[in-house]
Amino acid sequence: MVNHSNIYRPLRAKLTDVIEESPLIKTFILVPESRFSFKTGQFIELTVDGIGEAPFTPSSSPLVTDTLEVTVMKTGYVTEYMHNLKPGAFMGIRGPYGRGYPVEKFHDKEVLILGGGCGLAPIRSLLYSLEDITGKLRKVILCYGSKTPKDCVYKPLFARLNKISKFETYRTVDKPDEEWTESVGVVTSLLNKVDVTVKNSIAVVCGPPIMMKFGTIRLLEMGYQDDQIYLSMEKNMSCGLGKCGHCMMGEFFVCKDGPVFTYDEIKDQPNIWS
Amino acid sequence: MHHLIINKEEWDKALEKLLLSYTVFAPANNEFGQDYELLRPEDVSRIIYNKPKPATPLKTFFLPLKENVTTEPRHEKQRIIMGIPNCDIEGLGLPEEMYLNGEFDDLFFQRRRENTILIASDCLGIQEHCHCLSYGISPFTAGKADLALILLEDKMIIRVITEKGEDLIKNVSHLMPLTDNSILESIERKHQITEDLLKEKNKGLPDYATTGRLVKEAGPAIWKKYSSSCVSCGACTLICPTCTCFLLIDKPGFEKIRQTDACQYPGFQRVAGGEDELFELHKRFKNRYMCKYVWKPERFRSIACTGCGRCIEACIGRISKNELFMELV
Repeated sequence: MVNHSNIYRPLRAKLTDVIEESPLIKTFILVPESRFSFKTGQFIELTVDGIGEAPFTPSSSPLVTDTLEVTVMKTGYVTEYMHNLKPGAFMGIRGPYGRGYPVEKFHDKEVLILGGGCGLAPIRSLLYSLEDITGKLRKVILCYGSKTPKDCVYKPLFARLNKISKFETYRTVDKPDEEWTESVGVVTSLLNKVDVTVKNSIAVVCGPPIMMKFGTIRLLEMGYQDDQIYLSMEKNMSCGLGKCGHCMMGEFFVCKDGPVFTYDEIKDQPNIWS
Repeated sequence: MHHLIINKEEWDKALEKLLLSYTVFAPANNEFGQDYELLRPEDVSRIIYNKPKPATPLKTFFLPLKENVTTEPRHEKQRIIMGIPNCDIEGLGLPEEMYLNGEFDDLFFQRRRENTILIASDCLGIQEHCHCLSYGISPFTAGKADLALILLEDKMIIRVITEKGEDLIKNVSHLMPLTDNSILESIERKHQITEDLLKEKNKGLPDYATTGRLVKEAGPAIWKKYSSSCVSCGACTLICPTCTCFLLIDKPGFEKIRQTDACQYPGFQRVAGGEDELFELHKRFKNRYMCKYVWKPERFRSIACTGCGRCIEACIGRISKNELFMELV
């Protein structure tokens, strides 16, 4: 799906709806001017015309090719502009880039997923893929943590997943409000509640760097091997083409070789958690 | 590969003729030193042969400092770049691997590369910071340029290397096959003198692989020490024949400008939200060394430091990477 004639020119996509997930997080629903497909976990470069572009992993199902959903946290210059966009505006997309989740390797496994904050965006796309192959999986356990109940994204998703056999979801927040009835504490604390056969499992971690670090440490303590842990790395992927150098992590270009790596692949590289 | 010979006077006339159909860049002396100039017929006699090295690295002809990469590449007249030292010829290998990797070919780089004839010039003599030989690069082009030139008194000796080179010299009259072995022997002697000068000048400097090992093992003290006079100007990366990092700047109409960037600039790896693993100066400084001597060699066939010495010349903080390496040995 990469535009071969000019690798830098984005494909125009019309913004048809904006969903407010939390005070800082919005999901943008886009209709690209031509069909656009991606593998779950791959990322795109999303352009605000004349302002800038930034990398995001789509949060929608890879099986849908006429629309694309991207969940964006307002956290910098470009995302602030994105949050001000209204339906009808045109955005630009380049990609898809990189290596996503090797879903075929999850067959016959228990899939343990750790998500934090806006890190649930790539995971939602993964969950759609896993739903599609439920019959081939043993179990899917989703552990999700956010700062407050207000910051929890995709509220309807959890209710829906809980109705599917083989799917279990757990949520926790750092600071509860009066209505919160679920867990309180960091996301790794949910791991004490899950019933998982580590030997026949793979783990997926996506979230802020600090959560990825402690999530990985906890999974290793639980007995996961380095190559059973899949991490979705966050770097400054700018060109997406393995050329501009901004996302280099040791010898790896996160944009081409990642963004999904096993811990085994990158554990010796410098500064993987920052 | 074969050798041809022509009188310098005839060669100059041939160049004037080539100027009718090609855009030619050749090194000449100007107020800033030796650098490539757009050749005009009246400048043919000013071309410098046999002498290292133009101030501008060869990459600049293929990756301009700033360029709109969302337009159609312009159709340009075929180009000849003359007087290229072999360090720069070898230095083009890494940008070629990165920009023409088969998966995401950069159309702008590709068109220019196809449209350019490379004429190397053997280095007879060295500059203060030349150390190509320490990294296994010969000061004389053997394989990658289309033609190579050596000026011996009033005779121009031409090594024909590629088909592209062969095609070009079909336009040159008065060329003769070089049959006089004494000339080849004389060239060999001059080559030997240059190599001896390089060896003498760089005695004790570790080779490329050893440098990689030393850089990898070095603790933070050495990076802090040598970066203390670094002002993050990025001159070392700008002038490096193999550094090609860039920034994409957005313009209205979904246009993008590719502009040269440098890992030495603050914020190079900063992500939204402010995390920046290269925030500290000594870490940025080290990053460049790790990239050139450890990471790129693990990843690419082409060398990421050609020993041209430009980064040492360009540094306003007077930082010499070779002094750093000698301290690590």
